[in-house]
Amino acid sequence: MFGVSLSVLMSYRTIVAIAVMGAALLWDARVDAQPPIPPVPEADALFVQQVAPFLAKHCYSCHGSEDAEADLSLERFQDSANIQEEYALWQRVLRMLEEREMPPADQPQPDEEELHAVGLAVQAQLDSFDCSGEQRPGRVTIRRLNRAEYNNTIRDLVGVDFQPAADFPSDDVGHGFDNIADVLSMSPILLEKYLAAAETIVDQAFEDPEARAKIERFSAESRDQRRETLEKNVRAFVERAFRRPVSDEEVERVLTLVDAVRGSGPERGRRGRGDGQRGADEQREAGQRRPSNEPLRLACTAILTSPHFLFRIEQDAEQEGESELLTEAAAAGDAVSVRPLNDYEIATRLAYFLWSSMPDEELFDLAAKGELRQTPTLHAQVERMLADPKARALVDNFAGQWLQLRDVASLSPDPERYPAFDEELRAAMLQETELFFAAIIREDRSVLDFLGADFSYVNERLAQHYGIADVQGQEFRRVALPAQRRGVLTHASILLLTSNPTRTSPVKRGQWILDNFLGEPPPPPPPGIEELEDDDETLGSLRERMEQHRANPSCAVCHRQMDALGFGLENFDAIGAWRETDGRFAIDPAGELPGNQHFSSPAELMQVLAEQKREAFTRRLAEKLLTYGLGRGLGPYDRCAVNAVLDHAAAEEFRFSALVKAIVISDPFLFRELKGAE
Amino acid sequence: MLTRPQVSRRTLLRGLGLTLALPTFDSLTPRMALGATSVAPAPGAAPRRMACIFVPNGVHVPDWIPSSTGFGYQLPYILEPLASVRDDMLILSGLTHDRGRANGDGPGDHARSASVFLTGAQPRKTDGSNIRSGISVDQLAAQQIGGATRLPSLELGCEAGRGAGNCDSGYSCAYSSNISWASESTPVGKEVNPRLAFERLFASGESGETRRSRQERIALRKSILDYVADDAERLQKQLGRSDQRKLDEYLSGVRQVERQIEHSEQESKQAAVEMDLPPGIPQEYADHLRLMLDMMVMAFQTDSTRIATMMFANAGSNRNYRHIGIPDGHHDLSHHAGDPVKHAKIREINRFHISQLAYFLQRLKAIPEGEGTLLDNCMILYGSGLSDGNRHNHENLPILLAGRGGGTIDSGRHVAYSTETPLCNLFLSMLDRMGAPAPYIGDSTGKLTGLQV
Repeated sequence: MFGVSLSVLMSYRTIVAIAVMGAALLWDARVDAQPPIPPVPEADALFVQQVAPFLAKHCYSCHGSEDAEADLSLERFQDSANIQEEYALWQRVLRMLEEREMPPADQPQPDEEELHAVGLAVQAQLDSFDCSGEQRPGRVTIRRLNRAEYNNTIRDLVGVDFQPAADFPSDDVGHGFDNIADVLSMSPILLEKYLAAAETIVDQAFEDPEARAKIERFSAESRDQRRETLEKNVRAFVERAFRRPVSDEEVERVLTLVDAVRGSGPERGRRGRGDGQRGADEQREAGQRRPSNEPLRLACTAILTSPHFLFRIEQDAEQEGESELLTEAAAAGDAVSVRPLNDYEIATRLAYFLWSSMPDEELFDLAAKGELRQTPTLHAQVERMLADPKARALVDNFAGQWLQLRDVASLSPDPERYPAFDEELRAAMLQETELFFAAIIREDRSVLDFLGADFSYVNERLAQHYGIADVQGQEFRRVALPAQRRGVLTHASILLLTSNPTRTSPVKRGQWILDNFLGEPPPPPPPGIEELEDDDETLGSLRERMEQHRANPSCAVCHRQMDALGFGLENFDAIGAWRETDGRFAIDPAGELPGNQHFSSPAELMQVLAEQKREAFTRRLAEKLLTYGLGRGLGPYDRCAVNAVLDHAAAEEFRFSALVKAIVISDPFLFRELKGAE
Repeated sequence: MLTRPQVSRRTLLRGLGLTLALPTFDSLTPRMALGATSVAPAPGAAPRRMACIFVPNGVHVPDWIPSSTGFGYQLPYILEPLASVRDDMLILSGLTHDRGRANGDGPGDHARSASVFLTGAQPRKTDGSNIRSGISVDQLAAQQIGGATRLPSLELGCEAGRGAGNCDSGYSCAYSSNISWASESTPVGKEVNPRLAFERLFASGESGETRRSRQERIALRKSILDYVADDAERLQKQLGRSDQRKLDEYLSGVRQVERQIEHSEQESKQAAVEMDLPPGIPQEYADHLRLMLDMMVMAFQTDSTRIATMMFANAGSNRNYRHIGIPDGHHDLSHHAGDPVKHAKIREINRFHISQLAYFLQRLKAIPEGEGTLLDNCMILYGSGLSDGNRHNHENLPILLAGRGGGTIDSGRHVAYSTETPLCNLFLSMLDRMGAPAPYIGDSTGKLTGLQV
């Protein structure tokens, strides 16, 4: 199906050359789009003049070098902010200053002028972050298929949806996702399961005519063709399984394995056949006996256990053209050597990003023609792939983890307090948010709808729960939401998973929004702090008790914003139903976000977020999508890619596809840093 | 419930619907015969087994530590369900996991409490890149003596790793949902489904399979493993360091499966196992725990493995305990701030866990082995990596050690150690008794004294 692999190799240099030119163009465009960058020496002079003395005066007493609060030591920054490495830290420092959250209220406060000057100096450091210098696309460790990817890959490889990974141990999560290369370890128990799964899959596939036809594409016309046919079938399967062209040697090694087993197995003497080759017809005649050592079955079982199938591998330099190119790059004095991914690697990245599965024929064909790298092609593929039913994987795996919908299945609200909650309601909650996310993709809506949408999807059960009239039956349909529900933060699913079993938790809700939507995760509380006492209404409403609780200014630093967000949603109980009172207390949802952003109801809170936090929200979503798409945590250099994604998306009204399109043409998605950079 | 004397092995097993060939062992070797200093197993003696059980979120310490030391201590409230096995275990108070503390890494005590529990190693604070802990005590034992049984070790739990979100303050979920680490970068995945655990332990042959086809399947698997190992080795030469580490993991998986296959070849003369397959994951937590504990009992009894670990729940678990009248989440409760109502709920949860341990120990004790019982040949470590869930402290950990380690442990006592005694010292002493000595583990400073009188 890939044609002769040699031709691919020969055209490879040309592709690489074009790709490098393309990247250079992109690069220039990006530099132009940036505001003028203040020279680093100026920013550093400003730092020494303004920031360092400010830190010494206001910050060292808590954030010095010894026993620093929040584990943040600022004393190490004397001459410069070291912005290329510490960008996120300074971003947080600036936010804390701007929002008057630091220094804490019980400490001497800087005056306005001081604050303004130091703010400008920190901003100058942030602005001096250099995206134009050396290209740092990062490096992804070889990535084991996770359970979802394994299931989908097998489905697309043999054409039958066996869900063979259902019994695999769960994949560990890092950076919020279970597809992070460094965290996906390969334990012995897993290898045991892979081997057993490969045997079962091949057995089942050969019993299913449709699946069998997908694997056994060629059949022998005569006895003489058997060897040749086997070789063709093996090559076709192994190329699709390994997601790339394979060398003759690789095919030969599979055939050698087949020969070795066929030559030595107990079968041989009994059946009196020494040639080790039987055609498809004979295989079908085999009938009752266990046929697992039929040549093609055996080959497929081995291929499905190989590291080339189980891992997505991007080598440093396996191909001749490429290593020459690298040598040239090294000679040109590049500090970090970088290579463009080849077309097959890009096809694989695209397919696992958008489908959690292997590339399909069209992607393979484009890769074989060497056309996949071109931006228009990539964009057309994104449109095609997002419209494909397989894009459901983004709902299950990306939304399931970004919005933490996967946790909904395991939560159990207290049945005495929340008798309305049952399995039917749980399923409906989950389905609402999944349908909503799917609609954002399908209709290519603005991602700002996550914050502000005035519609959603309900069935009768959920409509009752929300107080929406005239919805009958189990089918979900699109409805206009009641006045106070807007966006996914008011979906019952999210409200449930940010509550305790026995009550709402404004802190959890606030923290969830800050972390997942605004990218401002608050640090965890220090140990040993007092928590709220449940049920003790003699001390006042939940809000009054929490306000007493944060009389301590060092708690108030983080809690002010967290609690404001959470209390803004207090009209929704722990299972997301509307309420006007909590126990004997009326709910007061009013609050204020930093920058005098007042709101008096949940809908107003959502409006404030959609209008004032647009940049923070879209940035967070872009970071999450990029993390998921790359399978690695983001480093300081990735902010350049995120900036480019946001510019691109803003120009297209933040449509979902615009984010995805910008990601797939970004440097981290199309390039790879090499060994030396590790 | 299972303390009835003189129950035949067969009767017990049939009660579970299982028949299988049981190994026979020589009688328990009395300690005197070994000489006063050696605690290593003597050749021909019954094999020693070790299991390590983790519970999350610390305990209510005042109801855990007995008021007196030595023999004849009074069982505190939480430990009362252990009355029938009191003389078969040691309460070890005062032990510490210093590497569970922040030591400059800031918050994340829950994640650390699990990753440090059996490793004694400071986990690298990372949400994904370059996870690193240390080799755990069970895996150190398995790497030395695991070859003697079909499975070198068995890792069980009742909660799968979390499927989304952050686990604890910038620590990857790998740290909070695993206690067994095969290398400093490879957590050993655990099995949470009793049916799958059973299949892994006992269902090595397919039903109705003839000897010939079994041999054929074994030969086939070996060839496939040879082929893929060759693939991995070729590939490894072309990759960067962190990629190579992934292939190391892959290759050690291959080697372990090869060993298992070799064992099953040797076992081919054994009677086939017949038992009703356990169902999937039971609805009730208590049933789930008991099924997993049953798996460990059977694994030890049939000598399918000698080393097991079990997480009653993941670190920081917020599971509710409604079945014992506690609807609140465990982790939420553990931040009790001194509230007596929360204390009362926490100690009920602690006691519930202990009653499951009691079930496990009673079952081990009801199985005769040599002149004693299976429990006599075991070392069952049970405890939490946090002391008080509110303070998040890592000293004076709640730890107990059940079983007599093949006659090398004088059980029936409460031993109080001076503060800051490393828990890792106990691990070294356990490894000696397993016949898998190590020069050090984690922050160990020597062997733990006081296990014998």
